[in-house]
Amino acid sequence: MSASEWVAVALLIAGCFFYLAGTIGLLRFGDVHSRLHALTKADNLGLMLVCAALAMLSANWRTAALLVLVWLLGLLAATVSAHLIARHARRGGD
Amino acid sequence: MTEVMFVLAASLVFGIGVWGLLIAEHLLRKLLALNVMSSSVFIIMLVVSGDGGTSPDPVAQALILTGIVIAVAATAFALALMISIYRATGRPSISESDDDDR
Amino acid sequence: MVISVLIDFLLAAGMVVLALQVVSDKAVLRSIILFVVFGLVMALAWTRLHAPDLALAEAAIGAGVTGALMMMAWRRLLIINPERPADTPLGRSRLAVPVALLSAVLVATIGLTALDVESPTHTAGQVAAEEMTATGLGNPVTGVLLLFRNLDTLLEMAVLLIALLGARAISPPASPEEAAVVETGTPLVGALLAILVPLSILIATHLLLAGTHEPGGAFQAGAVLAAGGVALILSARLKPGERPGIVMQLGVTVGLIAFVAIGVGIMALGETLLVLPGTWAVYLIETAMMVSIGLTLALLFAGAPALVGRRG
Repeated sequence: MSASEWVAVALLIAGCFFYLAGTIGLLRFGDVHSRLHALTKADNLGLMLVCAALAMLSANWRTAALLVLVWLLGLLAATVSAHLIARHARRGGD
Repeated sequence: MTEVMFVLAASLVFGIGVWGLLIAEHLLRKLLALNVMSSSVFIIMLVVSGDGGTSPDPVAQALILTGIVIAVAATAFALALMISIYRATGRPSISESDDDDR
Repeated sequence: MVISVLIDFLLAAGMVVLALQVVSDKAVLRSIILFVVFGLVMALAWTRLHAPDLALAEAAIGAGVTGALMMMAWRRLLIINPERPADTPLGRSRLAVPVALLSAVLVATIGLTALDVESPTHTAGQVAAEEMTATGLGNPVTGVLLLFRNLDTLLEMAVLLIALLGARAISPPASPEEAAVVETGTPLVGALLAILVPLSILIATHLLLAGTHEPGGAFQAGAVLAAGGVALILSARLKPGERPGIVMQLGVTVGLIAFVAIGVGIMALGETLLVLPGTWAVYLIETAMMVSIGLTLALLFAGAPALVGRRG
């Protein structure tokens, strides 16, 4: 395996670790706010690492740019949905 | 190997769908079970149509694509029916005991 | 090799476990959410089976639109009658388990037998794949949908329209409160929509144009367009209307109209019914279909005959 493939593998494993951490937080934490905290922070980082790994593997600027867009879209959606859920929970919703 | 595995898994999913359809009281749950069943049929259709190569039969793919769209259309219609039933009877279910306790 | 078999095994096992949870979870809302997850795992399975067109359709339509429709129906049940818990327990049936087992065994037998059968040499799919180079279309699935079996696709558009008309006929239009879900007080929603809605149009257009030579097509594009519509409905930017204007009526039917007009019009030139005259006709019909599919799905989601923009 070439050096860039090793880097990609390392990034993938790191990304999976953050996904795992986020999911454990989602399942184990007690209230909505801590769960959101675990999910949005860890998973967004995980997504970034996985996207970076895939960009390394593709070795193609067009694909890499698309992956950056995918990550930004994921960030955007996660930010706003987390905000809405937290707001709803704070106002005493179910 | 992969083909056999997917056929077996899809058969199990089909059985689970049948079971869910039979035991579900809530109409929404019955619809979910039906959708799960149709997904398993699609998987079997595609796996069986292929020759084990990397490009599955395009006619089977087109039929499944049609099936997915028809399934969502039927689901939407069924959901409208369910809402009407709920408005009329106050219950999200239909069962044979309906006539007895009303 | 071992790893790819392992991935396939995980996907297959995931499908079974998720299906079991979808039908047996006590809370209906959780069943719906799990069904969306099931649809996404299905989409991964389609990619593993080398069917990216189906993966796109499953993710957008099977998981996305169906899940959104189910959640909206759930919400409407709660609005109609807030006090009564809409959950009902699972029923009991002595026959359920044996019947389910028998049907699973039956399906497995049929599937495994069909796998064993030597595949015939001259199937419709092979003929379609061979003829594909002559059509100028690079995506065989789009070729089959629009050229070789386009009667199916035409009738599929009709089914979609009938489902909309049927839903409209049997249930009264949803009130505006039933449709809008997201609070409009926060500025973030507006910012999200300002990016998401143009993006959904961009992605839909890309899927449509790409669909002739790589995975994509009118159905996936229509579903993405509908997703943009759903976002607008949820945030009360689009509200259910009482009466469909001419734009709504035309939008819902333009797919069928374009398909029939070209398919029948070609007979005046001495061609056979539904033999499309070229790639331009495919693009034209697919664009019209995309608009109709997107609008129909959005209207089914809103549970209303029309959508109107927010006044003021």
